[in-house]
Amino acid sequence: MGLLEIGGLLLFLMLLMLSGGVWIAMTLAIVGWVGQAFFTNTLPGKNLFSSFWETSSSWELAALPMFIWMGEILYRTKLSEQMFDGLSPWLSKVPGRLMHTTILGCGIFGSVSGSSAATCATIAKVALPELEKRGYDRNIALGSLAAAGGLGILIPPSITMVVYAVAADASVIRLFLAGFLPGFLLMGLFSGYIIWWSLRNPDKVPPAEAPTTFMEKMRRSGSLIPCGLLIVFIVWVLVAGIATATECAAYGVLGSLAIAAAGRSLTWQNFWQGLVSATRVSCMIMFILAGAAFLTKTMAFTGIPRELAEVVHAMNLSPFGLIGVLVVVYLILGTALDGISMIVLTSAVVLPMIQKAGFDLVWFGIFIIMLIEIAEITPPVGFNLFVLQNMTGIDSNRIATVTLPFFGCLLVGIGLITVFPSIVTILPNMLMGVAK
Amino acid sequence: MNASLPPRASSVRRFLDGLYLLGGQLAALCVLAILILMIGASVGRVLDWRVSWVNDIVAWLCAAAAFMGMAYSFRNGDFVRVTLVLESVSAPVRRWLELVSLSVATVAIGYLGYWAARFTWESYEFNDIAGNMVAIPIWIPQMSFVIGSAILVIAVIDECVCVFRGGKPSYVARVEERHARGDFSEEL
Repeated sequence: MGLLEIGGLLLFLMLLMLSGGVWIAMTLAIVGWVGQAFFTNTLPGKNLFSSFWETSSSWELAALPMFIWMGEILYRTKLSEQMFDGLSPWLSKVPGRLMHTTILGCGIFGSVSGSSAATCATIAKVALPELEKRGYDRNIALGSLAAAGGLGILIPPSITMVVYAVAADASVIRLFLAGFLPGFLLMGLFSGYIIWWSLRNPDKVPPAEAPTTFMEKMRRSGSLIPCGLLIVFIVWVLVAGIATATECAAYGVLGSLAIAAAGRSLTWQNFWQGLVSATRVSCMIMFILAGAAFLTKTMAFTGIPRELAEVVHAMNLSPFGLIGVLVVVYLILGTALDGISMIVLTSAVVLPMIQKAGFDLVWFGIFIIMLIEIAEITPPVGFNLFVLQNMTGIDSNRIATVTLPFFGCLLVGIGLITVFPSIVTILPNMLMGVAK
Repeated sequence: MNASLPPRASSVRRFLDGLYLLGGQLAALCVLAILILMIGASVGRVLDWRVSWVNDIVAWLCAAAAFMGMAYSFRNGDFVRVTLVLESVSAPVRRWLELVSLSVATVAIGYLGYWAARFTWESYEFNDIAGNMVAIPIWIPQMSFVIGSAILVIAVIDECVCVFRGGKPSYVARVEERHARGDFSEEL
């Protein structure tokens, strides 16, 4: 049997188990085992042990539970109320007015949280009822929330980026730095669409509220200062390079605890619940990463990815052609898989291909994360859709329809970073020097 | 109804749930310890303390957090899977599929646990010493892998028995409870 046939067989086995409902982490490890046991001369048991032990006992990986915990703490505070209150007075002059609170709120919360669904849920909790009460268009509000929730994983810190960095052996800090500009770009595109829509449908935008004085505006935004300080602090720590990503995450947890304490939402019960939830989620992700590491080892032993990369290379696809094919593949995967699974399932095969074609791994990380954002809003399995369905009772497929314009914005964003890759690479290169 | 929440929990049930919870809580304490050590190390570096040992300990704590909490996380439905097919088939087919998945998982985790135990035993017998800054026998931190996967094997068999008896697996019930409360903090 040729290598490609073996690859096809393993892929078939994987799809069979995944669709049957076998847990993703276990599927990865089982496929890895089959590959090693039948198609190589190595001892799978020994490699299984070392993959699991070496992946999990990693000091870099310790950033993961920290960033997750940080989000868990902030999720249990009154940050979302404060965000709506603090942002709304500034937006009365912009076409679309308070509808922008969803985009800005998700952007700001995204810079202290590393999760897309949590960002979406936190901002939607307050923004949806408030916008509806004031008579804003429900479809635009829902669509913008679903799409902008994804900023949680694009604007650092980001749990997904930590996972990608471990899978691709790339620098977490470079990835974090690379996420800022594409994040702002997407916010601009989303807000741009809202402005364009409001100018075309002026009758659907409720009138501005009574104007407030500058001092009043400042007073209402005052509650956002702690959160702003936390963002500035995290960015400063990352950019100045005084701490590693893991230490930065630990300080993020301290900062979030301080914000929670200042808002009087830090009880022992909240503290412990947040910690246990964060631990559970980290366990899940680390198990997936360990399974993926084992599969990656199998792939390296069999040489399937190298062979596949050769085949793709021989097809003489232009780099844009390759990216185009990958966009389609990830869009399809994204309909049924969550982001982290998408990364670990594909990294063993796709990353060698990408490197061979001459793409930067950090750039590809941002590209894949933007595709994951799309996956979060594509039915049948899109987590931001589920979150909003749960909060409003509207069917997730209907929410997906109203999200379509923002889906378009995301595709435009992906196109822009592909044509102008420096949007991604300029910040890390400027602050950390050009990578090898 | 759900076999994990019968009107009066049997002592076996209470013991098993207690075991998973204990694993989860130990894992949570490891995460807390990582926080304290990371902060301590960064402060210590400024004060010129010797903190190079911290990285090793943090790495082992990270492994312990990952392994000790596996069973608790699994029972709570945090382990991701593709539910597209499961949710579109009838209840009897779904039960059958769950049983197949759980049997596959039992074999896989049993195998993992066996190799975890075997290699940790070898580390112990050959008295392997950790290579970095902290020179202790490596089998001590590796025990978290052995114990964690042992608890996970028990948890998977437990679910298997529950579904076999016609109950609803707790990893399904817990997720439904959480989403009914509107709690999405654990989805990424």
